[in-house]
Amino acid sequence: MKITLDGKQIEVEEGQTVLDAARENDIYIPSLCDNPHLSPFSGCRLCLVEIKGQRGYAPSCSTIAREGMEVKSDSPKLRKIRIRILELILSEHPSACLICQEKENCDEYKSTIRKVGETTGCVLCPNNGRCDLQKVADALGVDSIRFPAIYRDIEVNKKDPFFDRNYNLCILCGRCVRVCHEIRGTSTITFVNRGSDAVIGTALDKTLQDAGCQFCGACVDVCPTGALTERSLKYEKIADETKETICPLCSMGCRLDVGKYEGRILSSQPSEDGKVNQGQACVKGRFLLKNTVYSGQRIKRPMIRRKKDLEPVSWDEALDFVAEKLKGFPGDKVGFIQSSQVSCEDMFVFEQFVRDVLKSDQIAAESENSVYGILKELADESGVILPMNHKIKEISQADTIFLSGADIVSSHPIVWLAVLKAVKTGAGLIIAAPFEFSLSRYATLDLRIKPGSEAMLLGYLAKQVLGREDLSEKETVKGLEDLKKSVEDLRIEDVLKLTGIPNEETLTHAEKLFRPDRSVVLLLGAGFAGKEKIKNTLAAGWNLARLTRGRLFLLGSGVNERGQFEIRKIYDKKIDLSEFIRKAAEGKIEALYMTGPITLAVKFDPAFLVVQDSYWSDMAKKAHAVFPASTFAEDECSFVNTEGRVQRSGSIIPHYEESKPDWWIISRLAQKMGARSFSFKKSSDIFNRIEKEIPAFTGITNVSFTKEEDLFIKEEQGDKIGFLPAVYDRTVSSGEKRYPFLLVQDGGYDSYRNLDLTKENKGFAKIRETGIILLNPEDAVVLELKNGESVKINSESGESHAVVKISEAVPAGIVKTHFLRRLSPDSIFVSMLAVLPVNIKRGE
Amino acid sequence: MEEKILTKLFGLKDSHTIDVYLKHDGYKTTRKVIMEMKPGEVLEEVKAANLRGRGGAGFPAGVKWGFVPQNIDKPKYLCVNADEGEPGTFKDRYIMNHDPHLLLEGIIIASYAVGIHKAYIYIRGEYENVALRMEKAIEEAAARRYLGKNILGKGFDLDIYVHRGAGAYICGEETALLESLEGKRGNPRMKPPFPASIGLFGCPTVINNVETLSNVPFIIQNGAGKFTRNGLLKDGGTRLFGVSGMVEKPGIYELPIGTSLKDIIFKYAGGMKKGKKFKAVIPGGMSAPVLTADEIDINMDFDSLVEAKSMLGSAGVIVIDEETSMLDVLKTIAKFYSHESCGQCTPCRIGNAWIRKIVERIAEGKGKPGDIDNIHRLAKNMLQKTLCPLGDAAAMPILAITEKFRKELESYIGN
Repeated sequence: MKITLDGKQIEVEEGQTVLDAARENDIYIPSLCDNPHLSPFSGCRLCLVEIKGQRGYAPSCSTIAREGMEVKSDSPKLRKIRIRILELILSEHPSACLICQEKENCDEYKSTIRKVGETTGCVLCPNNGRCDLQKVADALGVDSIRFPAIYRDIEVNKKDPFFDRNYNLCILCGRCVRVCHEIRGTSTITFVNRGSDAVIGTALDKTLQDAGCQFCGACVDVCPTGALTERSLKYEKIADETKETICPLCSMGCRLDVGKYEGRILSSQPSEDGKVNQGQACVKGRFLLKNTVYSGQRIKRPMIRRKKDLEPVSWDEALDFVAEKLKGFPGDKVGFIQSSQVSCEDMFVFEQFVRDVLKSDQIAAESENSVYGILKELADESGVILPMNHKIKEISQADTIFLSGADIVSSHPIVWLAVLKAVKTGAGLIIAAPFEFSLSRYATLDLRIKPGSEAMLLGYLAKQVLGREDLSEKETVKGLEDLKKSVEDLRIEDVLKLTGIPNEETLTHAEKLFRPDRSVVLLLGAGFAGKEKIKNTLAAGWNLARLTRGRLFLLGSGVNERGQFEIRKIYDKKIDLSEFIRKAAEGKIEALYMTGPITLAVKFDPAFLVVQDSYWSDMAKKAHAVFPASTFAEDECSFVNTEGRVQRSGSIIPHYEESKPDWWIISRLAQKMGARSFSFKKSSDIFNRIEKEIPAFTGITNVSFTKEEDLFIKEEQGDKIGFLPAVYDRTVSSGEKRYPFLLVQDGGYDSYRNLDLTKENKGFAKIRETGIILLNPEDAVVLELKNGESVKINSESGESHAVVKISEAVPAGIVKTHFLRRLSPDSIFVSMLAVLPVNIKRGE
Repeated sequence: MEEKILTKLFGLKDSHTIDVYLKHDGYKTTRKVIMEMKPGEVLEEVKAANLRGRGGAGFPAGVKWGFVPQNIDKPKYLCVNADEGEPGTFKDRYIMNHDPHLLLEGIIIASYAVGIHKAYIYIRGEYENVALRMEKAIEEAAARRYLGKNILGKGFDLDIYVHRGAGAYICGEETALLESLEGKRGNPRMKPPFPASIGLFGCPTVINNVETLSNVPFIIQNGAGKFTRNGLLKDGGTRLFGVSGMVEKPGIYELPIGTSLKDIIFKYAGGMKKGKKFKAVIPGGMSAPVLTADEIDINMDFDSLVEAKSMLGSAGVIVIDEETSMLDVLKTIAKFYSHESCGQCTPCRIGNAWIRKIVERIAEGKGKPGDIDNIHRLAKNMLQKTLCPLGDAAAMPILAITEKFRKELESYIGN
């Protein structure tokens, strides 16, 4: 299709707006409310154009190009209109600086003057130099304003974490409102009041947090002025350099742009062209990345305990000390714990070191207990192969989405965005969880099922699918007969009773969403049920996905949990986690080398303990040697996300203090212990080895990363893709006599190596509501507890404290809380949160 | 005396009850339509009558109905715009108060013609009694099986709901009305898409004014020809002229479209109050540009007023006498629109606020030379530059006053 723009014939796509067409052809039309990711708003009116044959003026941002349209984007008349509109905007915006005669001098000499509480002009504005309004004023050449500036005198809102809201600078473009509603599905903010009193706000003037804000920062990123500004940037310089990195704070691997000034990280923002996140981030990636790098908990230098105290020594000394000590332990007496938040390169070197140098196979890893590990274990037992690669894009294209085991709005926000996209185009969303989540309002079926009954529900749905489909083509599929048999006796009465689903109609509705013409995606996480139950849920989920030709998308937790799982696939002898703990508790592991967080309730006192981490922990404090590992930001790292996507990020800052990459430390240690093959110079040397030795990485070379390719783990395909045996046990998880409540923990994803992000950042602790338990109103009546009262929580394995928040989001008999370390005996790694029977009593 | 189409029952005791309505041939047309006519026939008759919208824009109702796609797998809706917020306009209130069943009958016939099974009457929040009366009328009609399932046993279903607004003028703009009805903030939508294809809850929707729909039973009962003959010119039917301001007999007058404005003021409304001199008139609700003494020899129909650079609008005639200051008129207008702008478009949100500020400053005796130019420029910068017609509605009367009464306005500004 062709249109004429300013006398020039240009090619436009069907459905494209005039403004987008102009942008593509490098024709500048000023605009403030438009944003390519958002629906048009047409409020600022700066982008008005003239269209031949049309009365008046049309906003180019919402005018769809039509064949043969003749558009004028600039004329003396349009220029006049735009200047007048801009004058109006500037009459309400502290803009004296824009038209000040001493502007140039000021820019030169007062560039740090913005350290003030209140912004009254550009030089005092934290957004100075990044402001769309400044750009438009420059482009239009406004040098005087006919109106006196009116300061609206709205109190700057600093009640919420991470960013300030100064609506005196707001130009009511509505981008924040639209991104919050359209992209994030949160709808926290909207326009309130009308006419010249119109302002952006929350319902009933609540705080953002109370209004349901997820603090993803998307509103801050789209704000064209300084109205929304990241608080920690207010007193900073403007970044002089931007680097890209992969966010290490969950299993999605979002691409972030890191802003730096004189080598120091200032901020992190989602990359516009990030393949996973597509210009979006979450609270962790957006506001907490800096905390991980500059945490006060960072271990600065190698330390060893020769006598009583840990003392700082040189790397050489420290390595010699540990090498010497480790030599003294036979292979079966050493154990190694591997974090899932280190790079593929680190993991590969760990494995080599433990097997070849320590001569041990006692290397335990978080991924053993992850959704991948659990499913793989089942698959191996029954000789079935399970492809696990799935693109996040497939979620947004699904017709039916079944979600269980995670509150993805906080655990996997980027997955949630894909789900929202699907829901907005008409997909059915089934949520099977005991709780109400913020996304529950988007559910077609919000099934508040009893914890632990997920497998039962999935099995029943599989039975219905089996019952109605012609399965002739599938009859040879491995495990089909067993599947048929296993679901045969799932009767509807039992399913209703066990799951707590109120009636048959609801189940029938759910069944309909699995009709053969619908593309199905199951999203399964590891939360809310406990390991044994999750095993069945995953198996039943896999079977249902397989039956409906759908997809099972696993919600992993650590940034490289999937990578670890793939790398470890090649090793036969892997120690079971529970066996590892048992051996450790029995003192059979005498020397322990830890690179990741571990919480052991059992008394555990190894003869020799090495902690290699980026942050101090209780374990580090009692270690015999402590090695400072650098973070993701300080070295080139490859990660595999939960999709199976292999990504690499470069080093964005120098090594912090004396810290070194994990692979470097282990390689040097190996050499000190006499090994010859650990002569890696840089991480890409290791990746070459991975590519050669680990089949899942075949064909992915160092060069691949430089071409903007989609790189995915290589998976086995073929007719071994069968069904898994699932057990539909007829018990639900619940409390017991002494411990009548079931405590379910959430938010175990909020740590990076040994750093608990809720402890690191107060704002984050506030939004994760640490130290609070959600209690159903009925239970509150029985326990005679009010909102805000302190309680003691006791479990078989420990005691903790919390403050009560009464909420209908939790069912009676269940309490929900953010991860409580002290109460979690069997959660050796935080990815697998236990469900614990507890009792609750008033008390400090 | 001309035939009354809309005010036939006005003044009768209990005219709002279904018993009185039935006694005067009420629901006879509904019977005829449902028993004997095909939807297409009804539509053609309304098209032939050239029934132009009585809300303000004057778009032919039959054509509007014809835009609704018929073969579509979605419900269709009718929204009755009873958010009568235009200052100087009070005709719909009269209809709903005195003859609610006439409106209901109009709704039933329109819904039948378009294939609609759910209709909403969006009534402005301030009209509490009117809303109660409409609800009562709906109950009565449903009890007699003119509404609900299987109307008159012929298989046509229709439910009507009353929805009350919350006091925003902008919700009288049809797309803002839809947003409000959906439970959202009443901001206007972009057009296209037009409500006929994507309207309420994303479904095809007809939006008609109360007065427009109330004409429908007459058209169907008596034929399009009789209806058009009622008008004096090419527009069919009568209008309810709501005359207010400085006249002896303010009130609602049902007169043929095209009646002379002079006659409306001096003949029907009894002339100027206390014999004061006529100064100006706003002929079609507050957003219509003002007419001066030498412009009132004009026929009150859509096209004649457009020619005179004003508009028939809602036919709310506001008469201004010599003792009324045009600055006060301007102030009232400016205050109203700055208060009622939804806040989305810059020229309207900030422009109206500035106009109000400047006018208020002049009224306080602090006017500055150039202020009238400022007001004029701000208004001009609004005209045709906003998303919805509210910007125009504010700009048009302000431009007219600053142009036609410039001298008087200047006289309030000292040197």
